Amino acid sequence: MRATRSRGVAIALTGVLALSFSACAGGGSSSTSGPVDLKMALWSSNEDHLALMQEIGDAYVAEHGDEVASLTFEPVTNPDYIAGLTTQIAGGDIPDLAWIPEASGPEFVDAGILHDVRDTLEGTDGYDLGDILPVALEPWQDDDGGIYAYPFSNSPFALYVNEDLLAEADQPDVQELVGTPEYTWETITDVAAATNDATGAVGLNVPGFSPTNWSAVTMLGNAWGAAPWSEDGATCEFASPEMIAYLTWYQEQTSRGAIPAVSGNAAPAAFASGEVAFSVAQLSQSGSLDDSFEWSFLPLPAGPEGYHPIVGQAGVSVLERSAHKEQAAGFLAYLTNPTNAELLAQFFPPPRASLLDVETLSQAAPKLSPEEIQTAIIDVVPEAQVKPQHAVLSQFTDLVRAGLDPVWAGDDVETAVTGICEQISPTLKG
Amino acid sequence: MTARTSEVDDRRAVRSRRRSRSDGNSWLGVAFVAPQVLGVIVLGVVPFIFVIWYSFNEWRPLTGELEFIGLDNYSRLAADPTFSASILASLLFSAGVLVLNLVIAISLAVLLNRRMRGMTGFRTIFFSPVVVSVVAWSVTWGFLLAPDGGINGALRLLGIDGPNWLADPSTALISLVVVQVFKGVGMNMVLFLAALQGVPEELREAAQLDGATPWRSFWSITVPMIAPTILLTGILTTIGSLEVFAPVQLLTGGGPGNATNVLPFFLYRTAFISQQFGYASAVGVVLFAVILALTMLQWSTRRKWVHDEV
Amino acid sequence: MRSDTSLANRHRSRVATISLYGLLVVVSLPFLYPTLWMFFSSFKPANEIFLQPPSLLPRDWTLDGFAQVFTAQPFLQQYGNSMYIATIVTASSILLSAMAGYAFARIRFPLRNAAFTLMLAAMMVPTEVTIIPVFTAVNAMGLNDTHWPLIILPIFGPTSVVSVFIFRQHFLSFPKEYEEAARLDGVSRAGVFFRIALPLAKPAIAAVGIMAFLRSFNMYFEALIFLRTPENFTLGLAITRYQDFYGEQMWNAQLGAASLTVLPILVVFLVAQKQFVQGLAQTGIKG
Repeated sequence: MRATRSRGVAIALTGVLALSFSACAGGGSSSTSGPVDLKMALWSSNEDHLALMQEIGDAYVAEHGDEVASLTFEPVTNPDYIAGLTTQIAGGDIPDLAWIPEASGPEFVDAGILHDVRDTLEGTDGYDLGDILPVALEPWQDDDGGIYAYPFSNSPFALYVNEDLLAEADQPDVQELVGTPEYTWETITDVAAATNDATGAVGLNVPGFSPTNWSAVTMLGNAWGAAPWSEDGATCEFASPEMIAYLTWYQEQTSRGAIPAVSGNAAPAAFASGEVAFSVAQLSQSGSLDDSFEWSFLPLPAGPEGYHPIVGQAGVSVLERSAHKEQAAGFLAYLTNPTNAELLAQFFPPPRASLLDVETLSQAAPKLSPEEIQTAIIDVVPEAQVKPQHAVLSQFTDLVRAGLDPVWAGDDVETAVTGICEQISPTLKG
Repeated sequence: MTARTSEVDDRRAVRSRRRSRSDGNSWLGVAFVAPQVLGVIVLGVVPFIFVIWYSFNEWRPLTGELEFIGLDNYSRLAADPTFSASILASLLFSAGVLVLNLVIAISLAVLLNRRMRGMTGFRTIFFSPVVVSVVAWSVTWGFLLAPDGGINGALRLLGIDGPNWLADPSTALISLVVVQVFKGVGMNMVLFLAALQGVPEELREAAQLDGATPWRSFWSITVPMIAPTILLTGILTTIGSLEVFAPVQLLTGGGPGNATNVLPFFLYRTAFISQQFGYASAVGVVLFAVILALTMLQWSTRRKWVHDEV
Repeated sequence: MRSDTSLANRHRSRVATISLYGLLVVVSLPFLYPTLWMFFSSFKPANEIFLQPPSLLPRDWTLDGFAQVFTAQPFLQQYGNSMYIATIVTASSILLSAMAGYAFARIRFPLRNAAFTLMLAAMMVPTEVTIIPVFTAVNAMGLNDTHWPLIILPIFGPTSVVSVFIFRQHFLSFPKEYEEAARLDGVSRAGVFFRIALPLAKPAIAAVGIMAFLRSFNMYFEALIFLRTPENFTLGLAITRYQDFYGEQMWNAQLGAASLTVLPILVVFLVAQKQFVQGLAQTGIKG
């Protein structure tokens, strides 16, 4: 009651503001009958990604012209993509479909922003919902079995190696260690530090890691048995002995030059520049690599607690507040059916078991050798954990960012992580 | 123009109002100011009233629901250590920028205020960052301040091991102050140069003949003469420094810890990353209150040292 | 005896002169070096940017960075966006704030002082404070990801008050005699403004024009909030988006874009620096 009244006032005041812009064109269009125009927000402005999406979209319009008149793909290149998307939603300028990064999945499902597409997917001929790996689909489901996204990208983190740099630094070929007990973070960082010493190049790089995007580094702690919070999300585990051990190890690597020090909020050097020995990244990054140096694509090494592969996901969802939910869900089912999923697989490792074979994926990733595909993707995906998620992550991510800064600066880990848990525990408990 | 003329003018205006009350031009005056006054009301005053209203509400834009919660956002602010750190960062940043900016601006103006070859060239150099895009300026300093960047490289040549400027809690804020000051100090320098040209040469020469050192004559003659400029640039520099955003976002992201998490940046993250519009609005109200208080504070000191009433 | 002291004096003053120049050269470094470094580093290959020991000049000159500036983003279009927005904002700001400044200085009308006080108070409301309602309103009107807010806000919003203030100060000192002569000739009040006062207000026009242009051309926060698609970006935002899909920076492209953004403005400034500096010095902000 109160909330409604407040909202009414807000809308009225907004109207006053709107007057000032009255000369400007704009306004929403809402067609009630006939074919509709659909809009999808994408977290990529890569031309090849866009071209593929547009191709599938055009094919859909050609087949279903009575339902959908056009499909527009809006790339959003904001590093704070999710901030852009949520504010867009908040402002009522709502895309019909959107690319949702895994970190925001639970938050969006919880807030009721995403539309349940289970019925549409189940009712689509030849969709074969059972083909999707349960482990991949799980983060996008609620307790009642609703499905809120298709995880079109189920992409394991892997280790890119610049073989030329390693040779230049007289380092052993780590590729041969894969599958042996020696293939560990310890070995890799030894090589990284030595390469840094010998060539001045960056040793090991975690792209996308910056203090604001701390999870890129903390996720690797799972090989130490470390997780940022308990599985149900209610308990902070930053201060666990495992996380302390991992972060202390990370600090040591920074101080011996294996991993570059954090500089403000800037991102480190690009692997593609040829000046980085190792890089922790996903398949799609191979797109930016050419033949200017020899590189390989290996699974993540093991830590003290063994080998724990990690996947990063991105889902495609229909938004609950879209004016054309049904048509959008129809397109979602088409975009992610087995045939189109195979097309998408050329950039994004698929969540469908039927597509996880060397043949399909080598068409998709011609730059990788069959062994690389087998060991770094196919063997990994069925057992990999999804990068840690939390339903209210956006509310405490800045507290963790502030709390971890002393760790990147080389200060005492235990003090820092204890402080983080003090700060975020109330939020986690909700 | 000096304040005196405007005062005279105002008095004259008062007289002329009496004389020409029926001057049929008042509609013209209204029409002339209307676009700007309405603009400021619609785009400044009205939104600010909204902000105050929002600050009494819990508002998560994702779900779109606004819920009235009274002063809860403010009591939450009072208990939020990030917020107190943010206020501290803003005040320290502002104080640092104000002091450094005015000291450098006045010093440069005094150094350049002489008829010597090359002064125009130096003035151009000192002013040039003013025309440089703040993003380009910040990005460039980001490279220079990196652990392996130009500044530490230069220090290494001197045998000094420089800190990780932007990641070290003791140097991050001061680094931002430096970036901000060198970007904008040229503007104030130019204003001071203009003010110094209004200081009669004879006054200083007379003082020197009386045996005053240049340092004394600077404090007893120059400073009082340029006091109105000091006051106004001081106020404008303070307001500007409390609005800082781009260098913080591009260089430190508010870190390390909350050392550089100044209020505008905290507001932005709270609103657009944490999606708490109500809570962020409360931060906005506080930010305005801080600006208001500091402006009033500076303004109220003017009688003590600005003899030439502004 | 006497010539001795004057010689010593001359010697002392030469030492003073040399040390003054020395001091000025040293002080120039932090003002000059970043821009020079940005410019030269955009000709470096990406891997040379953090090379130790650091050097100002590239070892291998390359245009790769500049090529990427145009391939990674629609940079020309973004340049056009910034240019046309800044041009509209500058022209409108000059006209509207001159009118308002003139009226505040010279025309009596009801609530004049109240309105002026309100304007001055609005200067204390930064863009960040009111961004939430403004953002909501812009969204509600479907103007998100358009250039409208970037044009409307600087022209009409609280940031425009400085321009009004500058014009008011200028017109306060504008000789009344000119106006009175014109009015005796039967020129209307509006005619006086457009035909006499405004054309004679060149220093204030220069100051307001320069400030409005720089503010709009270098705008960042508003662009960050309101723009989403690269085709709509303005330059400030574009510079920050030279990274590949997974957040790896394209350093030399970023520096190239920054150089291309800064250079034309810097050249205009160098050519017209006298007008720049004098225009700003006469803003009336000095009191």
